[in-house]
Amino acid sequence: MSAPSPEPVDLKAVVRRAVAALDGTPSDTYPTTSDLTIDEELALHSIGWEPVELVSGVSIVSIPLGWWNWGQGEITAASEAHRHAFANAVTRLHREAARAGGHGVVGVRVEAVVRPTHVEVALVGSAVRPVGAGARPEAEVFLSDLSGRDFTLLSVAGWETVGLAVGSSFVFAPRRSVGTVLGQQTQNVELTNFTEAIYAARETAMARMQDAALALGATGVVGVSIDEGPMSFASHAVGFVAIGTVVRPGPSGHQRVAPMTVVPLDDAVVAFEAHALE
Amino acid sequence: MAPASDLPEAAGRRLAEGSFSSGLSVPDFAACLSMGLEPLRLVQGFCAMQWGAYGGGILGGAMMGQPTPASGGYNEVYQCPHGFVTGEHRAWGQNYEQTWVESAWATGFSNALTRMVEEATALGAHGVVGVLDTETPLAEAGVAEFHLRGTAVRVEGAPAPKGDPWTTFLAGQRLAKVFEAGYAPLGAVATVSSVRVWANCVTEYALEGTGGLFAGGGSVAEVDQVVRAHGVARDLARTRVRAQLHGDALHGAELSVVAREHGSGDLEVQVLLKGNRVRRVAPFSPLPAPTLTVALS
Amino acid sequence: MSDAPNDLPEATERRLEELERGLFTSDLSVNEFLLIKEVGFHPVGLVMGSSIYHTGIQTRKWSQSQELTKLTEAMYNARELAMTRMEEEAAELGADGVVGVRLDVNYYEWGKDAAEFIAVGTAVKAEDGVSRRNALGKPFTSDLSGQDFWTLHSTGYTPQGLVMGTCVYHIAHRGIGQTLSTTGQNVELPNFTQALYEARELAMTRMQDEATRLGASGIVGVRLEEKSHQWGSHTIEFLALGTAVAKGPDPVDLATPVTVISLDH
Repeated sequence: MSAPSPEPVDLKAVVRRAVAALDGTPSDTYPTTSDLTIDEELALHSIGWEPVELVSGVSIVSIPLGWWNWGQGEITAASEAHRHAFANAVTRLHREAARAGGHGVVGVRVEAVVRPTHVEVALVGSAVRPVGAGARPEAEVFLSDLSGRDFTLLSVAGWETVGLAVGSSFVFAPRRSVGTVLGQQTQNVELTNFTEAIYAARETAMARMQDAALALGATGVVGVSIDEGPMSFASHAVGFVAIGTVVRPGPSGHQRVAPMTVVPLDDAVVAFEAHALE
Repeated sequence: MAPASDLPEAAGRRLAEGSFSSGLSVPDFAACLSMGLEPLRLVQGFCAMQWGAYGGGILGGAMMGQPTPASGGYNEVYQCPHGFVTGEHRAWGQNYEQTWVESAWATGFSNALTRMVEEATALGAHGVVGVLDTETPLAEAGVAEFHLRGTAVRVEGAPAPKGDPWTTFLAGQRLAKVFEAGYAPLGAVATVSSVRVWANCVTEYALEGTGGLFAGGGSVAEVDQVVRAHGVARDLARTRVRAQLHGDALHGAELSVVAREHGSGDLEVQVLLKGNRVRRVAPFSPLPAPTLTVALS
Repeated sequence: MSDAPNDLPEATERRLEELERGLFTSDLSVNEFLLIKEVGFHPVGLVMGSSIYHTGIQTRKWSQSQELTKLTEAMYNARELAMTRMEEEAAELGADGVVGVRLDVNYYEWGKDAAEFIAVGTAVKAEDGVSRRNALGKPFTSDLSGQDFWTLHSTGYTPQGLVMGTCVYHIAHRGIGQTLSTTGQNVELPNFTQALYEARELAMTRMQDEATRLGASGIVGVRLEEKSHQWGSHTIEFLALGTAVAKGPDPVDLATPVTVISLDH
């Protein structure tokens, strides 16, 4: 994202003036804190937003013993604990952001760990608001795991971010009987019950994410990632977690962004190649 | 605070030599020159701190059963809701702020910073850019070494500095953009908060997954005591950093959290928050809204 | 395979119904999302297909290089099953195509000789309502990123389908006599060269055959992957993957790119 700069700035003079100004009176502004990089902050400023405070939300929810022993179907306590932990962490993040006067939180970093006895979720991000704007009620605060840069770009294209949509599903892997294993030893064959169990679990996680998105009034979810795999402490249990950013078009609808092609000079250039066929 | 000029003799010799040295990468070095910041010398400061004075190091406090939280710190008691006492049952739990850890950390960091700034002052520098900090626990429990280093710079064409040099974790293009955005760097800021959790019965059962009877009838439940410790530790770190800002902004903050388990039902939540104190010295001139580009590579 | 489930799982049907009612999901980044919109497509849903497949056993001759047709067939069928299910999901959403397709292979501890083949991508639909499906009347598939998709469109080409060819090959071990006689020498090992050569050619030819069936004029972004999976070092799968493209009817003016050096590292 590089815009052609209108006129070169005399950076040396800017630095000299800035350093000289430090000897003057201290600032009387309200102290802000943010974990945004300067690029993100500049991008946000370009659409009239500013950071106010670094905010976080944490939740730890326990899973009673016994749920991970080999069984069948979904490990409902784990799915439920995961959902609870996310919901509580999001609520706390909303509350902190609203208290700091933010209208939303950008660049939310999601850290979620599933342990045998509990699920831990920690969210950290920077609360932001339109420059100088007053506080907003907690219910209207938006969350986004997009960087300041992506947030800006979406907003230039006429879209609003609403929140995070999360869906999870923890299931037991199905078992094959010894007889089946021997019978299939030398064959190429699809293990249909396995396929269905894993396929369905993944779909369930995605469906729950969609339900969460719809509940937030979404038009769409972008940047969906699905984190999946056997649990480190119980290899017969497989977890699926789908996370995405909920978006909806703003009042003015989608705006075309008219991209420009550029050739970066700081990387080996690979030409576009079409392989002709006979 | 470190006593005035307690730099070792070797430091004096190194600083007196002629050529410049810097910890900057080539792009950062180039960016410094374009800003008119002339790199002078790599400067550094050390400080080794011990906080073992609380009866056998970090573990001591809680294992005694009845730790005495330092006065003024956060402290919250979690009573057993069940109303009976056995040898196994933790009828009593507490969250408390480990103020001695916090103050040892603050002293270590600020001593190392002061020594680094002293080296920079000796060179007539206006500031120190690209500060790196490492906190290494040494072999002995409860001892940590703080090491800060950065590149001392002089501002081309500016009068000799009046006060102490400013410091910042930033260097290169990032720093250039901070200046361009109308900010001036003031100081590298870091703080630690530490909250100890001595679990009561409900918390302990929830953490160990024994669930059932005491942790809410075998259903999933939030572990309030630990969640509260996390919330408070973050809040303490933020409030403390805010107090060091004196009305300026904290830019490019970094929040890292470590949760240690010292034993069954004995946790520690440590939050490190650091960033750059910057002051707005010129009005913000907004950039044009960005355009989307597609790289052909 | 005849025993493949013909229907998608129940959870899928429910999820797809929600998507048909107007919600969209996608694993595209913000940049990719905006670029897809720019080309005149709208994402309709994240689609996927999966197949857990047990690969049979085929005896290999120690000293003979040969294609292991049974394994080749297994690898191909399993991927094809996953891709077909993904296409089914896309077709159910009324999509014109699927972009950003990723093919992954998962192994689980509990499934000996079994692997899960997954295909995931974002189904897209043209905003002008004109069908952009391929020559076979199915949604096109492509492993191009949003950026590449946009660039491809600006050249006047359209994707037709993700094409692949695979070949599992056993490379002969060398006898002790051979090894000894060449010790200390710089020599080409013609048997090895030939075996690897042939395996790659087979994989690429199969890929091109698929493209020809789609009536494509070329393949872009061809990747050749080599994997040993869990068969030991002398048995290698050569997988060729690419997006078959065809030239569209409209003449195009390519904008001259601007050269830049980015300052953020």
